[in-house]
Formats: sequence, structure tokens, C-alpha cells
Amino acid sequence: MTFLMITGRTVNQGVTVENKTSAEYAAETSTCFMHEFDMLELGLDDGDTIRVTGPCGEVVMRASASVEVETGTVFVPYGPYANHIVAAGTRSTGMPDFKSHDVEIEPTDEEPKTVYELMEDLGGLAYDR
Amino acid sequence: MIVKDAVCPFCGCLCDDIEVEVEDDRVVAVTNACELGTTKFMGEKRMKSPILRDGDRWKDITYDEAVQYAADMLLSAERPLLYGWSGTHGEAQCVGVHMAELVRGVIDNTSSVCHGPSILAIQEVGHPGCTLGVVKNRADLVIYWGSNPIDAHPRHLSRYTRYAEGFFLENAFRDRKVIVVDVRKTETASIADEFVRIKPGGDYAVLSALRAIVQGKTDTIPRTVAGVAREQLIRVANLCKSAKFGAVYFGLGLTMTRGKYKNIRNAIELVSELSRHTKFTISAMRGHYNVYGSNEVNTWMTGYPFGIDYSRGIAFYNPGETTAVDILARKECDAALIVGSDPAAHFPRKCLEHLADIPVVQLDPYPNATTAFCNVQIPVAVTGIDAEGTAYRMDGVPIRTRKVLSTDYPSDREVLSRMYALMREALER
Repeated sequence: MTFLMITGRTVNQGVTVENKTSAEYAAETSTCFMHEFDMLELGLDDGDTIRVTGPCGEVVMRASASVEVETGTVFVPYGPYANHIVAAGTRSTGMPDFKSHDVEIEPTDEEPKTVYELMEDLGGLAYDR
Repeated sequence: MIVKDAVCPFCGCLCDDIEVEVEDDRVVAVTNACELGTTKFMGEKRMKSPILRDGDRWKDITYDEAVQYAADMLLSAERPLLYGWSGTHGEAQCVGVHMAELVRGVIDNTSSVCHGPSILAIQEVGHPGCTLGVVKNRADLVIYWGSNPIDAHPRHLSRYTRYAEGFFLENAFRDRKVIVVDVRKTETASIADEFVRIKPGGDYAVLSALRAIVQGKTDTIPRTVAGVAREQLIRVANLCKSAKFGAVYFGLGLTMTRGKYKNIRNAIELVSELSRHTKFTISAMRGHYNVYGSNEVNTWMTGYPFGIDYSRGIAFYNPGETTAVDILARKECDAALIVGSDPAAHFPRKCLEHLADIPVVQLDPYPNATTAFCNVQIPVAVTGIDAEGTAYRMDGVPIRTRKVLSTDYPSDREVLSRMYALMREALER
């Protein structure tokens, strides 16, 4: 199913943002808030993993029911998971389309990666000391 | 020891009434701050010493070695990018601009991915703004448009709007109306007197409709505009026109969505229309505690607020070309110095693929996502905790942050000044 993905700030993202190696930060920024009717349609329960495919690739997140979003729209807290699939074009403004990407969502059995696993996929090296 | 009136270095509110309890050079309790500020003051797990990537492992190095590495990297680069700057104090930002000029690099700050579009709109039509104190004491109508202060600026509501006392308002809680305009029914929306839910991407159309109503052209408005009923638009326009003093606070819901800076331009022009009937102001909800300062410092030193390219020997500004995301995505820069931000967590993946290919030095107290792409990371003191310096609040008021505890970490300004001195010395030789 196709959804409009909006990214934005949440309290939990802000609380964990200075500790990006923590499991809490990874959990918050890999959460995809969805309308419960959409979750029903995809056969998802709270916390089920989903594959989210955007214009630049795919990433695994966890679905979470939210009363804040409308059907057809999903909300993902700012962070490395959403940005793994966001395109870099800025339409000559310097600002990517952080709030206006269409994404495909389907259930999956895979687990979300850690932040450093995502970074290593792109050529980085985990710092784990 | 209790430090009173400490300044919180988290968001653009720069709350200056924080009490911090310090024992044995550790913060043990924080009073008055929101959850975001408290967590920042209590932050632990700092990086202990500078690190160098050596193949597939990390090696500890000294500050002298790290600073020399950074100076050499910037001097040997043809087109270095100096990015970040919103999470540090103005004095460090000043050194950054001097460094960019010296090496003919590009200096950009995080506003290019937050309120950069707002600045583009302000450059087109101006900024009818005011300080937070004016809104607190006078505003009887506050509109949050595409911003969610309960999550992003938690004390904005209690210090300046919904729950604040106002000198010229008899009963501020009763007399001050709050309107929230958003595509999501956020927690902020649930405490508003009026919630206007817009279909994503419809902000420009709704702003235009409100402008038409304020101009008396109500007949031209269709039954719904971007999902908002005509009746509600008329009600909101009337609330605005009948207010004695209105204030609009907008967030990234306007800058990041379709239309970007044109949305802000339309919002500013709505405020200008409203000011023909009553007093109205508009301001951005700035995110990082000193992102406003990075715009101020860059503007007074270079003439431009962000995205400044010194490759011609003079300051050149062209957002979309000289901004960090574009430069990285085009694989244009051949070295990057990152200060006070974490682009690897907040930039699209294509930018990170290029960060992996070039030398990167980062100044940051904590390991973060960008650490993975660093050749060297230099841990520094946190401004407002173990370093002091000037920061600009979201309304442009400069506030001196305080040092609440002592550590051995050098401040951003100290590290950058040492780098700059080495670079000048090398160039003069």
C-alpha cells in the first residue's frame, strides 16, 4: 500500500537525541505511526515490523497505531531510519522533501537494524566503546 | 551546589530560569526544565578523548594530534564543507566563518534543513516579528501553524502563550485564544480552542483562502480548501481580525512541505493583511538552541545567513547550490568539518554515501551517527553545561549561557581557535 510519509519531532526523539547509540533512540526513530484502519488492512498489530520503501531504498521499521495521523498518511520521527529512504533533491532551496514522500509499506519478518548497522551499510564504521 | 538561573541549551526557547544541582562535578538534579532540557543537563556517556579511525578500528589520539589532523585536512582540501554550528556558541561560530574564508570553503548551518526556507521568504517580504515577551504580555490570539510545541518546544506554551500570565491580559488563560493548524491532530492540537486540520501539502491554499477572506473576498472561497470547510476558514479569519494582538508561530510543517518558502511568504503576507485591521506578528519556532545565532553570526560576518561559499574569495550565497545537502549529494566537497550537529542522522542517505568517501572531522561531546563517518572526532565541552558562550533565542534575543560545572573538556571555541591558528601559521610559512 502507498502512503504519504511525514517526518517530524517527538518528545522521545528529543529526549534520546543526545544519545544516538541507545536502543531507545533507535526504537523511537524506527517507529512508523499509522492509522489503525491502515494497519488492519495490512494485517499489522502494534509493534509488527514493516518494510518501508521510498524513492531511495528501503528500511525496516515497526508499526505503531496512532490517533494523530489520518488514513493514507504515516508519521516517522526524524532520524536515520526515515532518512535512509528520503531523496536528496531540494528543488533549489537547500531543503529536502522531508514531509512529502510517497512510500510503499508491506509487512516483513525482518528486524529493524541498529543505527550503526544503517551507517555501516553506507560505508561508516560503528563506534561502540 | 545549586546553580540558579542557568540557561537551557536544548531548543530555541533558551529558558533562562533553570536550577541545576551539581555534586562532585556531576549534575544530579534539574528543576524547571522540560523533559528535553533535563535529559540534556543530565547527559552522560560522553566520548572520553579524541578518536581516529584506523582501518576498521578506532584509536585514541591526543587533542594536539586531532587538531593538527583537522587543520591539515582543511588546508589540503580544494572544496571543504564546514557544516553544523547550531549546537555551539556564537564565539565558536565566529571562528568557523574565519576558517571558511581562509580555506575558501563552504560554511553552512543546520537552518538549511530547518528554517532556511523561512529566511528565503523573509528575504522576499520581510519579517514582522517581535520578542516572546511582547506575545506573552499582549497577545490574545496565538496561532501555531505546522508546529507542535508540546513535543518540540515544551515550555513555549507555559512561558509565553497558553498557560502564561500576561501583563495586559486580565485573565490570560481565558482571554487568550489558541488556534492550531496542522496535518496531524497532535497533542498541541488537543489543547487548542480551534484546530484546523489541513490535507498534507495544502498550507499554501489555506493561507491564500484566509488572505482572500481578510480582504473581504469571501464569495470566492469554495466549499472546502485543502480539506478545511469554508465556515471554519471564515471563523478563523474573524477570530484573527477581532483579536487585539495576534501572533503566528510556524514550524517545519510549513518549511519542509510542498511549497517550502512560498508557504512562509504567504503566511507573512497574511500577517501583513491582518495588520491592516489589528496588530499581528509572525515568527519561526527555531529548533536548536543557537540556530538563530548561526544565522546572526553568519549574516553580520558574511552578509548571508547560511550556505556561504568562499571559493571565489568573497562570500557567495545561492541556496540549493551552496547548501550542505546539495553539495554532499553532488559529491562536490572533498573534506568536511562538522561542529554542533549530526548530519548522518538528519541528512538523506545519498549525502552520507559521500561523507563515507571523504575525510571528516567532527567536534561533538557524544558519539553520534556522524561518528561512523569520521576520520577524527574531538570531544568538546557542552555549551551551557561545561562551557559558556552567547546563544540567540528564537526571537533574536542574545542570551549568555552559563557554565554550571567544570570538566577538562575544551570548548568548541578553544578547539577551533587552535585549529585556525595552526592553519594561519601554515599559510604564512
